[in-house]
Amino acid sequence: MSLLYACSHLDPPISPLPPSYPSSSSSFSPLHNLYFCEECDAVRCDQCVAVEVASYFCPNCLFDVPSANVRADKNRCARSCFSCPQCSSSLSIQATDSIQSGEASSSTTSAPGPPYILTCSGCRWSSKEVGWEFEKPTGIALQLQKTHSHNEPIQSEFDALKEHLDSYISTNAPPIPTPRSTRAPFRHISHLTQMASKALHRDLSGMAGSSARARPRGSGVGKDGEKEKVGWDVLGEYESKTSWKQLGLESGLEDVEKMKKLEYSGVAGVATLDRTWDKSWNGNRMASAILPQRIPLQTKLTKRCPHPTCRHLLIQPDTKSVRMKIKMVAMNYLPHAELGRRKRRVTSGSSAGGGSSENLISPEEAEMRRRERRLRGKGPLTKEEDESMDRPLEAGQVYTFALALTNPLYDPIQIRLTQPHGPKNAPEPNHLLYLPTQHFTINALKDAWAYDEEEAEEDPTFGAGGSEAGFSEEGTVTTGTGTGTGTLSKKSRMSILVGGSTREKRSRGETGVEKKGNTSIVGLEVEILPEAKGKVEFDLEVRYTYRADEVSEKGEKGKEEYKTFTFWIRVNAGQVE
Amino acid sequence: MGAFDTVITYDKGTHIETDTGNKVSRKATIAGATNIILGGKSIIQTGSILRGDLRRSTAGQHVVISMGRYCLIGEGAIIRPPGKMYKGAFTFYPVRISDFVHIGAGCIVEAAQIGSGVEIGKGCIIGKFVIIKDLAVILPNTVLPEGTVVPSMSVWSGNPGRIVDTLPETYQETMEAKCKNYYQRFRPAA
Repeated sequence: MSLLYACSHLDPPISPLPPSYPSSSSSFSPLHNLYFCEECDAVRCDQCVAVEVASYFCPNCLFDVPSANVRADKNRCARSCFSCPQCSSSLSIQATDSIQSGEASSSTTSAPGPPYILTCSGCRWSSKEVGWEFEKPTGIALQLQKTHSHNEPIQSEFDALKEHLDSYISTNAPPIPTPRSTRAPFRHISHLTQMASKALHRDLSGMAGSSARARPRGSGVGKDGEKEKVGWDVLGEYESKTSWKQLGLESGLEDVEKMKKLEYSGVAGVATLDRTWDKSWNGNRMASAILPQRIPLQTKLTKRCPHPTCRHLLIQPDTKSVRMKIKMVAMNYLPHAELGRRKRRVTSGSSAGGGSSENLISPEEAEMRRRERRLRGKGPLTKEEDESMDRPLEAGQVYTFALALTNPLYDPIQIRLTQPHGPKNAPEPNHLLYLPTQHFTINALKDAWAYDEEEAEEDPTFGAGGSEAGFSEEGTVTTGTGTGTGTLSKKSRMSILVGGSTREKRSRGETGVEKKGNTSIVGLEVEILPEAKGKVEFDLEVRYTYRADEVSEKGEKGKEEYKTFTFWIRVNAGQVE
Repeated sequence: MGAFDTVITYDKGTHIETDTGNKVSRKATIAGATNIILGGKSIIQTGSILRGDLRRSTAGQHVVISMGRYCLIGEGAIIRPPGKMYKGAFTFYPVRISDFVHIGAGCIVEAAQIGSGVEIGKGCIIGKFVIIKDLAVILPNTVLPEGTVVPSMSVWSGNPGRIVDTLPETYQETMEAKCKNYYQRFRPAA
């Protein structure tokens, strides 16, 4: 089971709110969805990165549409890609001749020819139903534009209105208002407001006094109407292309027609909402009247670090292939954490009802007790029983889990595992967590080939026994097909570890850590409180120390610089029912 | 990744391992084996059917199904080449499957091309001449109609299949690790 990683969303890295706050879930996402900015030394997620469109392409013909054409094409494929009006799968172009002759006389090779139609291989819809036939099998969108230019009356009306307003937007900026013309309105004043203000200041016969009083206050604007208009936007009246009178709406002819169709087809004949979603409300809403739409374009995105002073590229796609030119993903920086191997502690005999007896003890005391129990080692008192990860947890039981951390770096790293402190008034969690092994190291990632070889030789299961078994495995050389290279790589890995001066002591005294390749596995102990219900979730603070390359090159030989990075993971151990 | 995955075992006699590391179930139906190319380290599981016999009718050697490395054909999956009328005669066209392709159990695949890093869930029907580009996911029980084009980094679902999501940029590494991991875990019982 993979775990979720926290992203602080531009805030300085602090421990996120505990899982008891539902709002904290928005800052957690799986590791493979996260990015990493090297400049800021921070994790970034899909919610906070700045996104730009790198290129547009049609998902059906995979044609890269130049961004200059996208607007004119209304974000849809301008070639021959149409989606089925009934089932939205892509339509294919078919020559009509071949259908007729194919059934009648398959032996005679009649060359399939025009007219061409669009057919849907998903639901057998064909463009004959709406009367679309084409002379050529290419450039359908263009052919369609010539023959059926006005398929929706509202569209041409909308285009005309847009053009009318476009001229208003694209006209040159107004001349800088001279100090004299203080009444020049700002651009954001709507046309309606301008009209209203014009009407208010209109000279009325018999009200000359009021306007005369108003004028001088306007800091000496001349009586000339022309001058007053400096900076005013001139917007002509918009006249609609068609009038409702022309359409005959007043006589309700359309409605009569609609009702007739509805009577004929029944309710099933009306197109469902998701089919008419991207159309105007005006027009025919019968399923049979829906026309195929050009397929909407898709994009490839460039992603940037959201930090205002950074803005470094995190993702830059290559328009030609699936490879990325720049790919700064957290997977290459942070250890990958997994939870597994759940075990339930079976307390023998007298302490079977351990949950209920511990009910009376304060959590601190219980913690102490458990610590003691742990120190005594795996005495004969406690036995553990394997359980499936999918089974619900039981209240009042103690479970142990294994937490695996996999190192993505080519250097060994040192881990410190702690439980973050939540805010003071946070609700009490429904469980107690104990981390028996808080400090341990993870071996370096090796070259792909060396790693593969080792993988092939070793058994992929980590010793089924306890954690000690895994540790002893590290010391001994694997038997069987273990060739010279296998043992050599092992030794060199050991020497790297020992070479790290500061970590020497730690790596010697490591117990409770199970290592294999670049993965280390440690135990976790979770005690579910007797009254617990719902999800058992907790956060872990992982701090890792790694060797920084750049600093070691600066003359200071022998002394290697170490850096630390802290991140938080959310562990969902299961559900109590 | 995959630290807690367990070994998937099979009885030694039930699968044949080739020199290049392919593991082919003896209970898989492989017709026209001379027309099938396996890239190596691929697994063909029990009950799957590979129709290499549906070759082009003209004379000469024709590759019908070609498959890359680290592929998996799930239990009971059927791979058959697509065919259509061309110039008055019915012809089959080859199926090209790249590396790191997992085809789930019970799928029926008549695609023309499946790119690398593609995962097809259980019980999918991939229609004739479907083209699946590199890095795509077809969720279980999806039906892709004839001639569908699945672009890179997309997730498809439904009947008929539609794009429902896009994949994270790390998907290539994830899928390659997953396929390698699966191959290494699939081994005979000791």
